[in-house]
Amino acid sequence: MPSSQAIVASSAIGHADRRWIFEGLGLTLVVIALALIFTWINPRFATATNLINILTQASYYIVIAIGMTFVITSAGIDLSVGSLLALITVVGFELIKEGLHPALGVALMFAMGGLIGAFTGSLIAFVKIPPFIATLGMMAVLRGLALVHSAGNMHYGLPPSLTWIGQGSLAGAPVPVVIALLFALFGAWLFNHTRFGLHVRAIGGNREAARLAGVRVNLVEVLVYTMMGLTTALGGLIMIARIDSTQATIGTAMEIHVISAVIIGGTSLFGGRGTIYGTVLGAILLSMMTNALVIAGVDFFWQLVVMGVIVLLAVAISNLRERRISVLAFLLRRPGGAAASQGGV
Amino acid sequence: MEASGVPPDAPPLLSIVGLSKSYGGLRAVDNVTLEIRRAEVLAVVGDNGAGKSTLVKALAGAQPPDEGEVRIDGKVVELRTPRDAEAAGIGCLHQGLGLVDALDVPENVFLGREPQIRVLGLIPQLDHRTMRERTIELLDRFGIHLPRLNDPVSRLSGGQRQTVAISRLLLQDVRVVIMDEPMAALGVAEGHRVLDLVRSMRQQGITVLVISHNLEHVFQLADRIAVMKNGRLIGVVATAETTREAIVRMITFGQTH
Ligand SMILES: Nc1ncnc2c1ncn2[C@@H]1O[C@H](COP(=O)(O)OP(=O)(O)OP(=O)(O)O)[C@@H](O)[C@H]1O
Ligand SMILES: [Mg+2]
Repeated sequence: MPSSQAIVASSAIGHADRRWIFEGLGLTLVVIALALIFTWINPRFATATNLINILTQASYYIVIAIGMTFVITSAGIDLSVGSLLALITVVGFELIKEGLHPALGVALMFAMGGLIGAFTGSLIAFVKIPPFIATLGMMAVLRGLALVHSAGNMHYGLPPSLTWIGQGSLAGAPVPVVIALLFALFGAWLFNHTRFGLHVRAIGGNREAARLAGVRVNLVEVLVYTMMGLTTALGGLIMIARIDSTQATIGTAMEIHVISAVIIGGTSLFGGRGTIYGTVLGAILLSMMTNALVIAGVDFFWQLVVMGVIVLLAVAISNLRERRISVLAFLLRRPGGAAASQGGV
Repeated sequence: MEASGVPPDAPPLLSIVGLSKSYGGLRAVDNVTLEIRRAEVLAVVGDNGAGKSTLVKALAGAQPPDEGEVRIDGKVVELRTPRDAEAAGIGCLHQGLGLVDALDVPENVFLGREPQIRVLGLIPQLDHRTMRERTIELLDRFGIHLPRLNDPVSRLSGGQRQTVAISRLLLQDVRVVIMDEPMAALGVAEGHRVLDLVRSMRQQGITVLVISHNLEHVFQLADRIAVMKNGRLIGVVATAETTREAIVRMITFGQTH
């Protein structure tokens, strides 16, 4: 069977569906085009320092958005990431300031992220609370706890071993960017090449079919939110190490930013299909937008407005993209249909 | 003629004893006791809502029954999850197929029992290559050629999807295969391949429980026919000793004579 062999041979290239490769290329072009436009508006945008700044800023969003890609692909959502990040960082920061060994402090932050994520996942998988509601509740609970812990307190002054994670450089590249890049590679591997990634896509695509096929749907779901918590801890660590401070209100509206990055990247809001590459680009695109707005002197509140509009646009475009096929078919069929009806008359 | 291959005194491979399952006040399966012999094809027929799929789901570990037990080779098996059923050697094709639209063909075929390789001899990773090669082999057995295995199965035709779902059964080491409406969306040629497949399974000593509304298929395939109505088992008759009219009467009126 020559054709069978051809199929096997083509698998060596990768197993991704072609349409998604095209979409990834398309988004890459959009990011490049936007960068050119911003540069044209204000040449300061394209300086090396500014571009590195954008990537550094994108780094923790990339990390957290990768966790969110798994969540959304599993047909879930997590609104509590900003609150979780606040709670983890204020607690971790304070303990480290009080003399806890930085390595232990970091371990504790990850443990908190993982455990709280697992708890949220259990609410969803076992108590059957819809993800939107469960994480909305957790968003309030965790923010409340962060405020109880250190309302009005600004924590600052981390040991250099930790600020290096946010401010240092490795072979000329900022450490956060290196971490984000490595984590993205890991995330893409996990998503496309492991049993866990496949099961996440399966439960997001058709939970009942996945269950009947023997996938441990509840376990996978708990793991997805556990991973979300762990990535939030990693993102939070990079963030506080970079700005060397944290407070109970940190990460407010972060869920919007992170979810937007995932959706702009092309991950389906209905679950089942996602792309880590798209998510990384989405996060970079958002950081570019934010940066351009800052350079243009637009303040945070308006940035939020712009961000919201971008999300709505991204969803609208992705819906249109799905429908475009039938619109095209409709346009192509019309002359034929008209001719047929003429023939009929 | 076909039925003569099965020794009449063979012990039952699978017995269902006093199985019941209710949804709220509705007894979808009502105290069903049924024995299935080694290497026989047993068809279960009945009107819509008779309880056939509910019975299948109990055997597949997809929906544990309220009462009753299932024995294989005389030993009681606990079927609480689909994994239990698989471990007991029961393979199942569910009505509505149970494919994940967003996944591609090999991913659907292997979902739940994916082969893995170890990167650096350590880290488990999906063996995409084996998955593809075996998928192509399996589809070849049906004479089905899919141009793009990488595409999500949502882009396949109904019959192609069904073939993908059926190929899942051939992966497992099964003793009992249960098929809920396997021929429903198939064209004539593909339907015949499924009939051939069922016959070849029986030749290999696999016991087949098939559910179908198509009495023509049932009479071609089955050694015995079990009729259900309103959750109850009306009767089981040898195909050679009955007629279509008698079966139709049993299905509609619940009469054995
Ligand atoms: N998940 C469920 N919840 C509530 N009732 C159900 C459920 N599944 C099935 N039923 C009911 O149980 C009865 C038996 O359904 P079942 O699916 O077993 O029938 P069936 O014989 O497979 O029918 P068909 O030939 O139409 O597939 C029906 O009355 C149905 O409405
Ligand atoms: Mg049914």
